[in-house]
Amino acid sequence: MNRKIFKWIVYLLPLPVIMLSLFIGPSGNTGLSALVKHLLIGNESFNPELAYNILVNVRMPRILLVFFTGGVLAISGAALQAVFRNPLVDPYVLGLSSGAAFGAALGLWVAVIPVQLSAFTFGLAAVGLCYFMARKNKQVSIVSLILAGIITNGIFTALLTIIQVLSDPFKLQSIVHWTMGNFHNADWVKIQTAALPMFAGFLILFILRWKLNVIALGDEEAASVGLNPRKLKIWILLGATLAGSAAVAVAGIIGLYGLIIPHMVRMIFGVDNQKTLLINFLMGGTFLTLIDNISRTMAGFEIPIGVFTMLIGAPFFIWLLKKSNAGWE
Amino acid sequence: MKTNNIIEITNLSFGYRNQQILKEVSVAFPANEFSVILGRNGSGKSTLLRLIAGLLPHCKGAIRINGIELNNLSSAHRAYLVGFLQQSHKPVFPFTVKDVVLTGRAAFIGYLPTKEDHIAVDDAMERTAITHLQSRLYTELSGGEQQLVMLTRLIAQQPDILLLDEPISHLDYNNQIHIIKLIKQLVNDGFTIISVLHDPNMAFLFGDRFFFVDDQKVYADNSSEPWKSPLIHKVFHNSIVPVPHAGKMLFIPSLQ
Repeated sequence: MNRKIFKWIVYLLPLPVIMLSLFIGPSGNTGLSALVKHLLIGNESFNPELAYNILVNVRMPRILLVFFTGGVLAISGAALQAVFRNPLVDPYVLGLSSGAAFGAALGLWVAVIPVQLSAFTFGLAAVGLCYFMARKNKQVSIVSLILAGIITNGIFTALLTIIQVLSDPFKLQSIVHWTMGNFHNADWVKIQTAALPMFAGFLILFILRWKLNVIALGDEEAASVGLNPRKLKIWILLGATLAGSAAVAVAGIIGLYGLIIPHMVRMIFGVDNQKTLLINFLMGGTFLTLIDNISRTMAGFEIPIGVFTMLIGAPFFIWLLKKSNAGWE
Repeated sequence: MKTNNIIEITNLSFGYRNQQILKEVSVAFPANEFSVILGRNGSGKSTLLRLIAGLLPHCKGAIRINGIELNNLSSAHRAYLVGFLQQSHKPVFPFTVKDVVLTGRAAFIGYLPTKEDHIAVDDAMERTAITHLQSRLYTELSGGEQQLVMLTRLIAQQPDILLLDEPISHLDYNNQIHIIKLIKQLVNDGFTIISVLHDPNMAFLFGDRFFFVDDQKVYADNSSEPWKSPLIHKVFHNSIVPVPHAGKMLFIPSLQ
């Protein structure tokens, strides 16, 4: 069966992709050919200490961070889509990303509040705000949720701008770069700070992965079979926000990525979240690692990774919008 | 004859902010029978079912199932007793039929469905004869098939009482008859079914007990010839005319 082959590909691909990505980068010293040459025939210009440093302290943390970020963005998107019964949302569309970005920038600027905590708090605030703005007569329609997301995005982008205006030029540059979605500052410390919320978010969603199916049918459908939809939704939103805002806090805004992956997964593997949650994580990680390789090497300078995901995601979003007959009901 | 009432409602009142829907309703529904609720649009039939299903909270009056007040039950325990079928369900994601039916097991499932749940789902699908649809996508089914799937989901839930809110209202006539016969079969198998129906013929040909909702009240009819009930006029006014048929009564629209 086709699906089985694809499943094995998704499960087996991450390791070789991560390994190969280690040898991709601007430094000629650590290219795969240089390494092979060194091992086979010896290479005088090869500097093993530098190579070690680049591989272990620069590329390894970056690749792992990219992988985990891609993975949690994908499951965060998948969970948000199920909870809102809306195939057009992800952390970016709902404003979760800009909320978390503002929170993280605030944390960087004030320096008293931990960045991750601040990102999570404002990410959660953004999702809550978006949800309550979109809610009318106890219903949240597909289009009104997207419109509420635009407003939420606007609010937190404006707040972020205030911080940018107040920051000195040097800090400003790094904030701007970081909001575009960027990994060039990745190091082991960032992995350490992001690991806990990312893992917690992943764990919550992984435990609730079958229940995502029930809530995706609707609140009343979930309540009538004995679940408490409100409690379940709060847990799912907590998981999705933990994962999503942790990703934003370390990598900035990687727009629409949480929309693209769940849809690709759905097209290949169907919609059963019990089966697809882990697949979403692995495919999200692998795919973002590949995109990051392009962003690192395509030009002489680094192109922010969020640029790529937006350019891929935008036509995807339009196509989905046309396909889904998104209505106001 | 003393009937065994599975649901007892006493002095139940319910309303939204500025609109009273039900006022001091006291009524009881018998076990293992097919009770039909008749009433005009907006009379509060759906509200009554949703209250019994525990989907709307009630604070004035009591709803007892097997003698236990509904408010004192956990949501899982409630789901063992009552299940609810909506008029229609609007799908968003293309789940397979089997995945949809499996969600009916939620009250039994801790985190992931077990073998037992899959067996219950297979049994339920056999019962409604939709096993051949199990791998199809729910979104691609016809309205009749979708309703059959949601009914199967309810059967997989295995509650004692099935509450059906206009289960056949937007189905074609063949599907209406198919579903109503299936409901009859379920009653024979031991389920208690309470259903809102609009078609008086479907109601009086297949129903066992009749309840009329009118003017914020619910009236039970316990006569052996319910089609003679004066309550019918409360619901249908003079717009229908009775025609005797095979010991029962059919109703046709009045032509005057």
